Amino acid sequence: MDFRLSGIRKSFGSLEVLGGIDVEMDRDELIVILGPSGCGKTTFLKIVAGLDRAFEGGREGFDDSSFSFVFQDHRLLPWKSAVDNALFALSGTDIERSTAMTRIDRLIRLSGLDGHERRPVRELSGGMRQRASLVRAFCRHADVLLLDEAFQSVDLGRKRELMRLFLGIREIEGGAAILVTHDPWEALWLADRIVVLSDRPAKVVDTFDVDIPRDEREAGMDRVARLERRLSSALMGVRLGPDA
Amino acid sequence: MSTSRNRRRLGMGLISIAALLGIWQAGASLVGKDIILPSPYRVFVELIALAPTADFAAAVGGTFARGLEAFAISTLAGSVAGFASGRFDLVRAALAPLLTTIRATPVLALILLALLWFPAGFVPVFAAFLMAFPVMAASATEGAKAAPAELLEMAALFQVPPRRVLFELRIPAAFPFFAAGARASLGLSWKVVVAGEVLSQPRFAIGTGLQSSRLLLETPRVFAWAFAAILLCGLAEWLFGRLVAGKSFRGL
Repeated sequence: MDFRLSGIRKSFGSLEVLGGIDVEMDRDELIVILGPSGCGKTTFLKIVAGLDRAFEGGREGFDDSSFSFVFQDHRLLPWKSAVDNALFALSGTDIERSTAMTRIDRLIRLSGLDGHERRPVRELSGGMRQRASLVRAFCRHADVLLLDEAFQSVDLGRKRELMRLFLGIREIEGGAAILVTHDPWEALWLADRIVVLSDRPAKVVDTFDVDIPRDEREAGMDRVARLERRLSSALMGVRLGPDA
Repeated sequence: MSTSRNRRRLGMGLISIAALLGIWQAGASLVGKDIILPSPYRVFVELIALAPTADFAAAVGGTFARGLEAFAISTLAGSVAGFASGRFDLVRAALAPLLTTIRATPVLALILLALLWFPAGFVPVFAAFLMAFPVMAASATEGAKAAPAELLEMAALFQVPPRRVLFELRIPAAFPFFAAGARASLGLSWKVVVAGEVLSQPRFAIGTGLQSSRLLLETPRVFAWAFAAILLCGLAEWLFGRLVAGKSFRGL
Protein backbone atom coordinates (compact mmCIF):
# COMPACT_ATOMS: atom_id res chain seq x y z
CA MET A 1 0.00 0.00 0.00
CA ASP A 2 1.31 3.45 -0.94
CA PHE A 3 -0.73 5.59 1.46
CA ARG A 4 -1.58 4.72 5.03
CA LEU A 5 -3.81 6.47 7.58
CA SER A 6 -3.77 4.72 10.92
CA GLY A 7 -5.73 5.34 14.08
CA ILE A 8 -6.86 8.81 12.98
CA ARG A 9 -8.57 10.57 15.89
CA LYS A 10 -9.81 14.10 15.95
CA SER A 11 -11.76 16.11 18.50
CA PHE A 12 -13.14 19.63 18.57
CA GLY A 13 -13.00 20.47 22.26
CA SER A 14 -14.95 17.77 24.05
CA LEU A 15 -16.63 16.60 20.82
CA GLU A 16 -14.87 13.53 19.45
CA VAL A 17 -15.43 13.46 15.69
CA LEU A 18 -13.09 10.76 14.44
CA GLY A 19 -12.66 7.82 16.76
CA GLY A 20 -9.70 6.02 15.22
CA ILE A 21 -9.89 5.45 11.46
CA ASP A 22 -7.58 3.10 9.57
CA VAL A 23 -7.46 3.32 5.79
CA GLU A 24 -4.79 2.18 3.35
CA MET A 25 -4.76 2.77 -0.38
CA ASP A 26 -2.72 2.26 -3.53
CA ARG A 27 -1.38 5.02 -5.76
CA ASP A 28 -4.04 4.40 -8.43
CA GLU A 29 -6.97 3.40 -6.25
CA LEU A 30 -10.37 5.10 -5.96
CA ILE A 31 -11.76 4.81 -2.48
CA VAL A 32 -15.20 5.98 -1.53
CA ILE A 33 -15.81 6.87 2.10
CA LEU A 34 -19.48 6.33 2.79
CA GLY A 35 -21.09 7.48 5.99
CA PRO A 36 -23.98 9.36 7.49
CA SER A 37 -24.11 13.14 7.26
CA GLY A 38 -22.09 14.89 9.93
CA CYS A 39 -19.97 11.87 10.83
CA GLY A 40 -16.68 13.67 10.15
CA LYS A 41 -16.02 12.72 6.52
CA THR A 42 -14.94 16.26 5.59
CA THR A 43 -12.67 16.45 8.62
CA PHE A 44 -11.10 13.18 7.53
CA LEU A 45 -10.47 14.53 4.00
CA LYS A 46 -8.86 17.69 5.40
CA ILE A 47 -6.52 15.53 7.45
CA VAL A 48 -5.63 13.49 4.34
CA ALA A 49 -4.95 16.75 2.43
CA GLY A 50 -2.72 18.05 5.20
CA LEU A 51 -5.02 21.03 5.80
CA ASP A 52 -5.62 19.89 9.37
CA ARG A 53 -2.53 18.86 11.28
CA ALA A 54 -4.08 18.81 14.75
CA PHE A 55 -5.01 15.14 14.96
CA GLU A 56 -3.80 11.94 16.54
CA GLY A 57 -2.66 8.98 14.48
CA GLY A 58 -0.40 8.22 11.54
CA ARG A 59 -0.49 9.77 8.06
CA GLU A 60 2.08 8.14 5.82
CA GLY A 61 2.98 8.39 2.13
CA PHE A 62 1.35 11.76 1.51
CA ASP A 63 4.22 14.10 2.31
CA ASP A 64 5.63 14.54 -1.19
CA SER A 65 2.26 14.22 -2.92
CA SER A 66 0.36 16.89 -4.80
CA PHE A 67 -3.35 17.30 -4.07
CA SER A 68 -6.44 18.46 -5.81
CA PHE A 69 -9.70 18.97 -3.96
CA VAL A 70 -13.37 19.37 -4.81
CA PHE A 71 -14.67 21.21 -1.77
CA GLN A 72 -18.23 20.71 -0.61
CA ASP A 73 -18.60 24.50 -0.28
CA HIS A 74 -16.89 25.05 -3.68
CA ARG A 75 -14.36 27.62 -2.39
CA LEU A 76 -14.19 29.50 -5.67
CA LEU A 77 -13.04 33.11 -5.89
CA PRO A 78 -16.45 34.72 -6.46
CA TRP A 79 -15.15 37.65 -8.49
CA LYS A 80 -13.31 35.39 -10.95
CA SER A 81 -14.76 33.27 -13.74
CA ALA A 82 -14.67 29.47 -13.84
CA VAL A 83 -11.70 29.69 -16.25
CA ASP A 84 -9.79 32.13 -14.04
CA ASN A 85 -10.48 30.05 -10.95
CA ALA A 86 -8.99 27.05 -12.73
CA LEU A 87 -5.97 29.11 -13.86
CA PHE A 88 -5.53 30.34 -10.28
CA ALA A 89 -5.37 26.74 -9.05
CA LEU A 90 -2.90 25.85 -11.82
CA SER A 91 -0.58 28.76 -11.02
CA GLY A 92 1.24 26.59 -8.52
CA THR A 93 2.18 24.08 -11.22
CA ASP A 94 4.64 24.38 -14.10
CA ILE A 95 2.00 23.72 -16.76
CA GLU A 96 2.20 26.05 -19.81
CA ARG A 97 -0.65 28.54 -20.13
CA SER A 98 -1.64 27.31 -23.60
CA THR A 99 -1.75 23.70 -22.41
CA ALA A 100 -3.71 24.78 -19.34
CA MET A 101 -6.22 26.64 -21.50
CA THR A 102 -6.71 23.68 -23.83
CA ARG A 103 -7.32 21.46 -20.84
CA ILE A 104 -9.67 23.91 -19.14
CA ASP A 105 -11.63 24.56 -22.37
CA ARG A 106 -12.18 20.85 -22.83
CA LEU A 107 -13.35 20.40 -19.24
CA ILE A 108 -15.61 23.45 -19.48
CA ARG A 109 -17.24 21.92 -22.56
CA LEU A 110 -17.58 18.46 -21.03
CA SER A 111 -19.02 19.84 -17.81
CA GLY A 112 -21.63 21.84 -19.73
CA LEU A 113 -20.35 25.21 -18.53
CA ASP A 114 -19.64 26.53 -22.02
CA GLY A 115 -21.28 29.91 -22.48
CA HIS A 116 -20.85 30.65 -18.77
CA GLU A 117 -17.13 30.11 -18.43
CA ARG A 118 -16.26 33.85 -18.45
CA ARG A 119 -18.98 35.00 -16.04
CA PRO A 120 -17.94 35.77 -12.46
CA VAL A 121 -18.69 32.74 -10.34
CA ARG A 122 -20.93 34.79 -8.02
CA GLU A 123 -23.39 35.07 -10.92
CA LEU A 124 -23.60 31.30 -11.44
CA SER A 125 -26.18 28.94 -9.95
CA GLY A 126 -25.22 26.44 -7.24
CA GLY A 127 -25.00 23.58 -9.74
CA MET A 128 -22.81 25.62 -12.08
CA ARG A 129 -20.50 26.51 -9.22
CA GLN A 130 -20.24 22.83 -8.38
CA ARG A 131 -19.19 22.14 -11.97
CA ALA A 132 -16.72 25.04 -11.92
CA SER A 133 -15.25 23.50 -8.79
CA LEU A 134 -14.97 20.12 -10.55
CA VAL A 135 -13.30 21.75 -13.57
CA ARG A 136 -10.75 23.40 -11.27
CA ALA A 137 -10.00 20.13 -9.49
CA PHE A 138 -9.86 17.97 -12.65
CA CYS A 139 -7.67 20.35 -14.64
CA ARG A 140 -4.88 19.94 -12.11
CA HIS A 141 -3.06 16.66 -12.39
CA ALA A 142 -2.48 15.56 -8.80
CA ASP A 143 -1.19 12.47 -7.03
CA VAL A 144 -4.24 12.48 -4.78
CA LEU A 145 -7.63 13.84 -5.76
CA LEU A 146 -10.03 14.45 -2.90
CA LEU A 147 -13.74 14.91 -3.53
CA ASP A 148 -16.09 16.07 -0.80
CA GLU A 149 -19.70 15.33 -1.79
CA ALA A 150 -18.53 16.41 -5.24
CA PHE A 151 -21.61 15.41 -7.23
CA GLN A 152 -24.34 16.50 -4.84
CA SER A 153 -25.57 19.81 -6.25
CA VAL A 154 -26.13 18.66 -9.82
CA ASP A 155 -29.12 16.97 -11.42
CA LEU A 156 -29.12 13.24 -12.04
CA GLY A 157 -28.34 13.37 -15.78
CA ARG A 158 -25.50 15.82 -15.33
CA LYS A 159 -24.27 13.84 -12.33
CA ARG A 160 -23.85 10.72 -14.46
CA GLU A 161 -22.01 12.73 -17.14
CA LEU A 162 -19.67 14.29 -14.59
CA MET A 163 -18.96 10.95 -12.94
CA ARG A 164 -18.16 9.47 -16.37
CA LEU A 165 -15.88 12.44 -17.01
CA PHE A 166 -14.19 11.87 -13.67
CA LEU A 167 -13.64 8.17 -14.41
CA GLY A 168 -12.40 9.01 -17.92
CA ILE A 169 -9.82 11.43 -16.56
CA ARG A 170 -8.73 8.86 -14.00
CA GLU A 171 -8.33 6.25 -16.70
CA ILE A 172 -5.96 8.54 -18.61
CA GLU A 173 -4.07 10.12 -15.75
CA GLY A 174 -4.35 7.65 -12.91
CA GLY A 175 -3.64 8.80 -9.39
CA ALA A 176 -5.31 8.06 -6.12
CA ALA A 177 -8.70 9.47 -5.29
CA ILE A 178 -10.85 9.59 -2.20
CA LEU A 179 -14.48 10.54 -2.56
CA VAL A 180 -16.66 11.06 0.47
CA THR A 181 -20.40 10.78 0.09
CA HIS A 182 -23.53 9.67 1.89
CA ASP A 183 -25.04 8.34 -1.35
CA PRO A 184 -24.61 4.51 -1.66
CA TRP A 185 -25.32 4.58 -5.41
CA GLU A 186 -22.55 7.09 -6.01
CA ALA A 187 -20.23 4.81 -4.06
CA LEU A 188 -21.30 1.72 -6.01
CA TRP A 189 -20.90 3.44 -9.34
CA LEU A 190 -17.44 4.87 -8.75
CA ALA A 191 -15.48 2.97 -6.13
CA ASP A 192 -12.71 0.43 -6.33
CA ARG A 193 -13.28 0.05 -2.61
CA ILE A 194 -15.95 1.37 -0.28
CA VAL A 195 -15.17 2.20 3.34
CA VAL A 196 -18.27 2.61 5.51
CA LEU A 197 -17.97 4.87 8.51
CA SER A 198 -20.08 4.87 11.64
CA ASP A 199 -21.78 7.90 13.12
CA ARG A 200 -19.74 10.21 15.38
CA PRO A 201 -17.14 9.43 16.64
CA ALA A 202 -16.55 7.89 13.21
CA LYS A 203 -14.91 4.48 12.90
CA VAL A 204 -14.63 2.08 9.98
CA VAL A 205 -17.52 -0.38 10.32
CA ASP A 206 -17.03 -2.26 7.08
CA THR A 207 -15.01 -2.30 3.86
CA PHE A 208 -16.21 -3.57 0.46
CA ASP A 209 -14.00 -4.33 -2.52
CA VAL A 210 -16.02 -3.53 -5.65
CA ASP A 211 -14.73 -5.94 -8.27
CA ILE A 212 -17.66 -5.50 -10.66
CA PRO A 213 -16.60 -3.97 -14.03
CA ARG A 214 -17.82 -0.38 -14.23
CA ASP A 215 -19.90 -0.93 -17.35
CA GLU A 216 -21.87 -3.58 -15.45
CA ARG A 217 -22.68 -1.37 -12.49
CA GLU A 218 -26.29 -0.67 -13.32
CA ALA A 219 -29.31 -0.95 -11.07
CA GLY A 220 -31.07 -4.30 -11.30
CA MET A 221 -27.97 -6.37 -12.09
CA ASP A 222 -27.56 -9.25 -9.65
CA ARG A 223 -24.06 -8.55 -8.36
CA VAL A 224 -24.83 -4.87 -8.01
CA ALA A 225 -28.08 -5.56 -6.19
CA ARG A 226 -26.33 -7.96 -3.80
CA LEU A 227 -23.62 -5.43 -3.03
CA GLU A 228 -26.19 -2.70 -2.65
CA ARG A 229 -28.06 -4.80 -0.08
CA ARG A 230 -24.84 -5.42 1.86
CA LEU A 231 -23.99 -1.71 1.73
CA SER A 232 -27.47 -0.72 2.83
CA SER A 233 -27.42 -3.12 5.75
CA ALA A 234 -24.01 -1.77 6.79
CA LEU A 235 -25.39 1.75 6.64
CA MET A 236 -28.61 0.72 8.42
CA GLY A 237 -26.47 -0.81 11.13
CA VAL A 238 -24.75 2.49 11.39
CA ARG A 239 -27.97 4.40 11.63
CA LEU A 240 -29.83 2.03 13.96
CA GLY A 241 -26.86 1.05 16.06
CA PRO A 242 -25.12 -2.33 16.38
CA ASP A 243 -27.96 -3.94 18.33
CA ALA A 244 -30.69 -3.15 15.80
CA MET B 1 -39.04 49.87 -8.75
CA SER B 2 -35.49 51.12 -8.42
CA THR B 3 -36.30 54.26 -10.48
CA SER B 4 -39.18 55.16 -8.19
CA ARG B 5 -36.94 54.56 -5.16
CA ASN B 6 -34.29 56.83 -6.71
CA ARG B 7 -36.93 59.50 -7.32
CA ARG B 8 -38.10 59.28 -3.71
CA ARG B 9 -34.49 59.56 -2.51
CA LEU B 10 -33.87 62.57 -4.75
CA GLY B 11 -37.09 64.17 -3.57
CA MET B 12 -36.13 63.67 0.06
CA GLY B 13 -32.68 65.16 -0.61
CA LEU B 14 -34.24 68.23 -2.24
CA ILE B 15 -36.68 68.66 0.65
CA SER B 16 -33.76 68.46 3.09
CA ILE B 17 -31.79 71.12 1.14
CA ALA B 18 -34.90 73.35 0.97
CA ALA B 19 -35.39 73.00 4.74
CA LEU B 20 -31.75 73.97 5.43
CA LEU B 21 -32.05 76.98 3.12
CA GLY B 22 -35.31 77.92 4.84
CA ILE B 23 -33.71 77.79 8.29
CA TRP B 24 -30.73 79.75 7.00
CA GLN B 25 -32.98 82.38 5.40
CA ALA B 26 -35.03 82.67 8.61
CA GLY B 27 -31.83 83.12 10.64
CA ALA B 28 -30.51 85.76 8.21
CA SER B 29 -33.84 87.65 8.32
CA LEU B 30 -33.81 87.51 12.12
CA VAL B 31 -30.21 88.79 12.36
CA GLY B 32 -30.71 91.33 9.57
CA LYS B 33 -27.01 92.02 9.02
CA ASP B 34 -25.04 90.57 6.06
CA ILE B 35 -21.80 90.99 7.95
CA ILE B 36 -22.97 88.48 10.59
CA LEU B 37 -25.16 86.12 8.56
CA PRO B 38 -25.89 86.90 4.91
CA SER B 39 -28.98 85.43 3.25
CA PRO B 40 -28.68 82.44 0.88
CA TYR B 41 -29.62 84.70 -2.04
CA ARG B 42 -26.85 87.20 -1.16
CA VAL B 43 -24.30 84.38 -1.00
CA PHE B 44 -25.56 82.97 -4.32
CA VAL B 45 -25.15 86.39 -5.98
CA GLU B 46 -21.62 86.63 -4.51
CA LEU B 47 -20.74 83.17 -5.80
CA ILE B 48 -22.04 83.99 -9.28
CA ALA B 49 -19.96 87.15 -9.26
CA LEU B 50 -16.87 85.30 -8.03
CA ALA B 51 -17.08 82.22 -10.23
CA PRO B 52 -16.05 83.73 -13.61
CA THR B 53 -12.93 85.46 -12.25
CA ALA B 54 -9.46 84.13 -13.03
CA ASP B 55 -8.51 84.24 -9.34
CA PHE B 56 -11.40 81.97 -8.44
CA ALA B 57 -10.47 79.42 -11.12
CA ALA B 58 -6.83 79.48 -10.01
CA ALA B 59 -7.81 79.14 -6.35
CA VAL B 60 -10.17 76.22 -7.01
CA GLY B 61 -7.55 74.58 -9.24
CA GLY B 62 -4.85 75.05 -6.59
CA THR B 63 -6.99 73.61 -3.81
CA PHE B 64 -8.14 70.75 -6.03
CA ALA B 65 -4.54 69.86 -6.88
CA ARG B 66 -3.51 69.97 -3.20
CA GLY B 67 -6.50 67.91 -2.11
CA LEU B 68 -5.81 65.34 -4.80
CA GLU B 69 -2.12 65.21 -3.91
CA ALA B 70 -2.85 64.73 -0.21
CA PHE B 71 -5.48 62.11 -1.00
CA ALA B 72 -3.19 60.18 -3.35
CA ILE B 73 -0.25 60.14 -0.95
CA SER B 74 -2.31 59.25 2.12
CA THR B 75 -4.27 56.55 0.26
CA LEU B 76 -1.16 54.95 -1.16
CA ALA B 77 0.93 55.15 2.01
CA GLY B 78 -2.03 54.26 4.26
CA SER B 79 -2.94 51.25 2.12
CA VAL B 80 0.56 49.82 2.08
CA ALA B 81 1.32 50.53 5.75
CA GLY B 82 -2.13 49.43 6.96
CA PHE B 83 -2.16 46.26 4.87
CA ALA B 84 1.34 45.32 6.02
CA SER B 85 0.30 46.06 9.59
CA GLY B 86 -2.71 43.75 9.25
CA ARG B 87 -0.56 40.98 7.85
CA PHE B 88 2.50 41.18 10.08
CA ASP B 89 2.47 41.69 13.86
CA LEU B 90 5.93 43.27 13.83
CA VAL B 91 4.84 45.98 11.38
CA ARG B 92 1.73 46.58 13.48
CA ALA B 93 3.85 46.93 16.62
CA ALA B 94 6.18 49.34 14.84
CA LEU B 95 3.37 51.47 13.42
CA ALA B 96 1.09 51.59 16.46
CA PRO B 97 2.91 54.39 18.39
CA LEU B 98 3.21 56.49 15.23
CA LEU B 99 -0.48 56.16 14.39
CA THR B 100 -1.54 56.85 17.99
CA THR B 101 0.61 59.98 18.08
CA ILE B 102 -0.73 61.28 14.77
CA ARG B 103 -4.33 60.56 15.81
CA ALA B 104 -3.90 62.36 19.14
CA THR B 105 -2.20 65.45 17.68
CA PRO B 106 -4.60 68.36 17.05
CA VAL B 107 -4.77 69.33 13.39
CA LEU B 108 -3.92 72.96 14.19
CA ALA B 109 -0.73 71.93 15.96
CA LEU B 110 0.26 69.95 12.87
CA ILE B 111 -0.41 72.89 10.58
CA LEU B 112 1.54 75.32 12.78
CA LEU B 113 4.51 72.95 12.89
CA ALA B 114 4.30 72.38 9.13
CA LEU B 115 4.38 76.16 8.66
CA LEU B 116 7.81 76.14 10.25
CA TRP B 117 9.11 73.33 8.09
CA PHE B 118 7.58 73.60 4.61
CA PRO B 119 6.73 76.19 1.93
CA ALA B 120 3.16 77.56 2.13
CA GLY B 121 1.87 75.49 -0.80
CA PHE B 122 2.92 72.19 0.76
CA VAL B 123 1.68 72.85 4.31
CA PRO B 124 -1.97 71.93 3.57
CA VAL B 125 -0.87 68.77 1.72
CA PHE B 126 1.34 67.67 4.60
CA ALA B 127 -1.33 68.35 7.24
CA ALA B 128 -4.03 66.57 5.19
CA PHE B 129 -1.73 63.62 4.58
CA LEU B 130 -1.07 63.23 8.31
CA MET B 131 -4.77 63.43 9.15
CA ALA B 132 -5.95 61.05 6.41
CA PHE B 133 -3.12 58.52 6.67
CA PRO B 134 -4.29 56.87 9.95
CA VAL B 135 -7.87 56.64 8.64
CA MET B 136 -6.73 54.86 5.48
CA ALA B 137 -4.25 52.71 7.41
CA ALA B 138 -6.93 51.56 9.89
CA SER B 139 -9.23 50.47 7.05
CA ALA B 140 -6.42 48.70 5.20
CA THR B 141 -5.45 46.87 8.42
CA GLU B 142 -8.99 45.52 8.67
CA GLY B 143 -8.94 44.69 4.97
CA ALA B 144 -5.78 42.64 5.34
CA LYS B 145 -7.75 40.23 7.54
CA ALA B 146 -10.76 40.10 5.24
CA ALA B 147 -9.69 37.18 3.04
CA PRO B 148 -11.84 34.19 4.13
CA ALA B 149 -9.83 31.44 5.81
CA GLU B 150 -11.41 28.76 3.62
CA LEU B 151 -10.27 30.51 0.41
CA LEU B 152 -6.75 30.85 1.82
CA GLU B 153 -6.90 27.15 2.70
CA MET B 154 -7.93 26.38 -0.88
CA ALA B 155 -5.02 28.44 -2.24
CA ALA B 156 -2.63 26.62 0.11
CA LEU B 157 -3.93 23.24 -1.04
CA PHE B 158 -3.40 24.14 -4.70
CA GLN B 159 0.05 25.53 -3.79
CA VAL B 160 -0.73 28.90 -5.36
CA PRO B 161 2.35 31.16 -5.17
CA PRO B 162 2.18 33.84 -2.41
CA ARG B 163 2.38 36.71 -4.93
CA ARG B 164 -0.76 35.50 -6.70
CA VAL B 165 -2.52 34.88 -3.39
CA LEU B 166 -1.74 38.50 -2.48
CA PHE B 167 -2.86 40.09 -5.74
CA GLU B 168 -5.71 37.77 -6.67
CA LEU B 169 -7.16 36.87 -3.29
CA ARG B 170 -6.05 39.03 -0.36
CA ILE B 171 -6.17 42.44 -2.10
CA PRO B 172 -9.50 41.86 -3.91
CA ALA B 173 -10.99 40.61 -0.63
CA ALA B 174 -9.75 43.79 1.05
CA PHE B 175 -11.12 46.05 -1.67
CA PRO B 176 -14.31 47.16 0.20
CA PHE B 177 -12.10 48.21 3.12
CA PHE B 178 -9.72 50.14 0.82
CA ALA B 179 -12.71 51.85 -0.80
CA ALA B 180 -14.28 52.81 2.56
CA GLY B 181 -10.95 54.09 3.89
CA ALA B 182 -10.25 56.07 0.72
CA ARG B 183 -13.73 57.63 0.80
CA ALA B 184 -13.26 58.73 4.42
CA SER B 185 -9.75 60.03 3.78
CA LEU B 186 -10.97 61.92 0.69
CA GLY B 187 -13.54 63.87 2.73
CA LEU B 188 -10.98 64.55 5.43
CA SER B 189 -8.31 65.64 2.93
CA TRP B 190 -10.46 68.51 1.58
CA LYS B 191 -11.32 69.83 5.01
CA VAL B 192 -7.74 69.79 6.27
CA VAL B 193 -6.34 71.17 3.00
CA VAL B 194 -8.67 74.20 3.20
CA ALA B 195 -7.89 74.65 6.92
CA GLY B 196 -4.17 74.47 6.13
CA GLU B 197 -4.58 77.01 3.34
CA VAL B 198 -6.36 79.43 5.71
CA LEU B 199 -3.29 79.42 7.93
CA SER B 200 -0.49 79.04 5.40
CA GLN B 201 -1.94 81.40 2.75
CA PRO B 202 -0.55 79.90 -0.45
CA ARG B 203 -1.00 82.07 -3.54
CA PHE B 204 -3.84 80.21 -5.25
CA ALA B 205 -6.15 78.59 -2.73
CA ILE B 206 -9.75 78.57 -1.53
CA GLY B 207 -8.45 78.87 2.04
CA THR B 208 -6.56 82.04 1.10
CA GLY B 209 -9.77 83.46 -0.43
CA LEU B 210 -11.65 82.59 2.75
CA GLN B 211 -9.08 84.27 4.99
CA SER B 212 -8.73 87.40 2.78
CA SER B 213 -12.53 87.83 2.67
CA ARG B 214 -12.75 87.40 6.45
CA LEU B 215 -10.08 90.03 7.03
CA LEU B 216 -12.00 92.44 4.79
CA LEU B 217 -15.22 91.57 6.67
CA GLU B 218 -16.82 90.40 3.41
CA THR B 219 -18.95 87.72 5.06
CA PRO B 220 -21.03 86.89 1.95
CA ARG B 221 -17.76 86.23 0.11
CA VAL B 222 -16.54 84.02 2.99
CA PHE B 223 -19.71 81.99 2.52
CA ALA B 224 -19.20 81.94 -1.25
CA TRP B 225 -15.65 80.55 -0.86
CA ALA B 226 -16.92 78.00 1.66
CA PHE B 227 -19.58 76.95 -0.84
CA ALA B 228 -16.92 76.52 -3.49
CA ALA B 229 -15.03 74.21 -1.11
CA ILE B 230 -18.19 72.22 -0.39
CA LEU B 231 -18.97 71.86 -4.10
CA LEU B 232 -15.40 70.76 -4.81
CA CYS B 233 -15.56 68.16 -2.06
CA GLY B 234 -18.95 66.94 -3.30
CA LEU B 235 -17.67 66.69 -6.86
CA ALA B 236 -14.60 64.73 -5.77
CA GLU B 237 -16.70 62.31 -3.73
CA TRP B 238 -19.09 61.83 -6.64
CA LEU B 239 -16.20 61.16 -9.02
CA PHE B 240 -14.72 58.71 -6.53
CA GLY B 241 -18.06 56.94 -6.21
CA ARG B 242 -18.25 56.58 -10.01
CA LEU B 243 -14.70 55.25 -10.11
CA VAL B 244 -15.30 52.65 -7.44
CA ALA B 245 -18.79 51.60 -8.62
CA GLY B 246 -18.79 48.24 -10.33
CA LYS B 247 -15.30 47.42 -9.12
CA SER B 248 -16.38 45.86 -5.87
CA PHE B 249 -15.27 42.28 -5.43
CA ARG B 250 -18.61 41.12 -4.14
CA GLY B 251 -19.73 37.66 -3.27
CA LEU B 252 -17.53 36.82 -0.33
